[in-house]
Amino acid sequence: MMDTLNFPKVTEIAVPLFIAAILIELLWIVIKGRGGRYETRDAVTSLIMGAGNVASGILLGFVAYGFFMLLWRITPLDLGTSAWVILLCFVLDDLRYYWVHRFGHRIRWVWASHVNHHSSQHYNLTTALRQTWTGTFTFMMVVRAPLILLGFHPAMVLFVGGLNLVYQFWIHTEAIGRMPRWFEAVMNTPSHHRVHHGRNARYLDANYAGVFIIWDKIFGTFVPEQDREKVDYGLVRNIGTFNPIRVAFHEWVGIFKDVTQPGLTWRERWMYCVAPPGWSHDGSRDTSETIKRKHLERHPEDRGTPGFEA
Amino acid sequence: MPLEILLPLVVMGIAGIAFTLHFLGLTDGPGLSSDDAARKAWAREFPDAPATNVARSITGRAALVETGDGLGIVWRFGADTTARDLEGAEAQVKNDTLILLLPDYDARRVKLHLAPGEAEAWAETIGQKT
Repeated sequence: MMDTLNFPKVTEIAVPLFIAAILIELLWIVIKGRGGRYETRDAVTSLIMGAGNVASGILLGFVAYGFFMLLWRITPLDLGTSAWVILLCFVLDDLRYYWVHRFGHRIRWVWASHVNHHSSQHYNLTTALRQTWTGTFTFMMVVRAPLILLGFHPAMVLFVGGLNLVYQFWIHTEAIGRMPRWFEAVMNTPSHHRVHHGRNARYLDANYAGVFIIWDKIFGTFVPEQDREKVDYGLVRNIGTFNPIRVAFHEWVGIFKDVTQPGLTWRERWMYCVAPPGWSHDGSRDTSETIKRKHLERHPEDRGTPGFEA
Repeated sequence: MPLEILLPLVVMGIAGIAFTLHFLGLTDGPGLSSDDAARKAWAREFPDAPATNVARSITGRAALVETGDGLGIVWRFGADTTARDLEGAEAQVKNDTLILLLPDYDARRVKLHLAPGEAEAWAETIGQKT
């Protein structure tokens, strides 16, 4: 069984491409006068979040990798490194991504890490790089455990995970409307992912896919972009800071404040960590379900339309 | 990629993009152009608490909003807006700048540059009503 295996660090290699693509998108927007918006401090915050994400990977990556290597020593299976195995690993890792991403929106502990990616009110290629610094603390690396126990080498799993993230870069744009129909049917696209970044009641908790949109269609979370309802980007309650430290840690601070408030039961403190974002012990806040319900009270005509079907 | 290449690439990339954006005039955005715009910006964050009264700053950078639940503030944030209710807020004035200290980690200290005299008036209103 191989212990060491080297794959390219695709997210690092892609950095020059990211920079070039951002400049091209910006140029396109400025020349055409459409296709998205940029604002200096918003973009710089996103880019610093991206750099911090790489730094946290360098500093804390050993935690996940150590865990994966431990599993690799335990498992009797080794699927090797053929092209088909890498392809299968890519597809299965994308399924893993779908669930981690879904947990990221439905479990506040994981949301605390992921929220910063949604904290921009813009949707451009810099938004793609607004990534977490605290992913290690969500313990979501455990969702990768089955892949390694099945015999996919940890280095391969991390490699395909990197490819997944690089794929997702280009879909963070308003400069591309819709891709060909066959592509929209199978792949995650700018249109599908715009929906995911929407704070409109209709678009909440939808389109968690990384590369293949089919997971959302299979698991019932797909909502197509509606021409009659423009996506409003950002958070349900938008943040009021460009300070990357506050962007990175604000939800963790929120959890801490909620959990340590006096007079709660232990169950309530636990729920402030693991219940969906917006849960509160006294019902004073709104979860995405409450927001959708309130929207339908104001707009009953939307009942049964995409995003309001359940 | 070796760190000695990655680090300068990232730093120069961020600096270059920041410079380009600023040079293109993409820093900040339009203010709140009307009371209606201020109401809409407020409703975007607090759809359950409609604004009953709006006092928009002369600079258009912010608006004090009165709702059935109390006082709130909506302000220009980059090219966009954001809003907070002012429960538990503390207002300070420095020259023509209103500094709002909010019990909110992601909007702890909001600095609003207002017209002469406006900051004092707003601070007084906030002091009375929160």
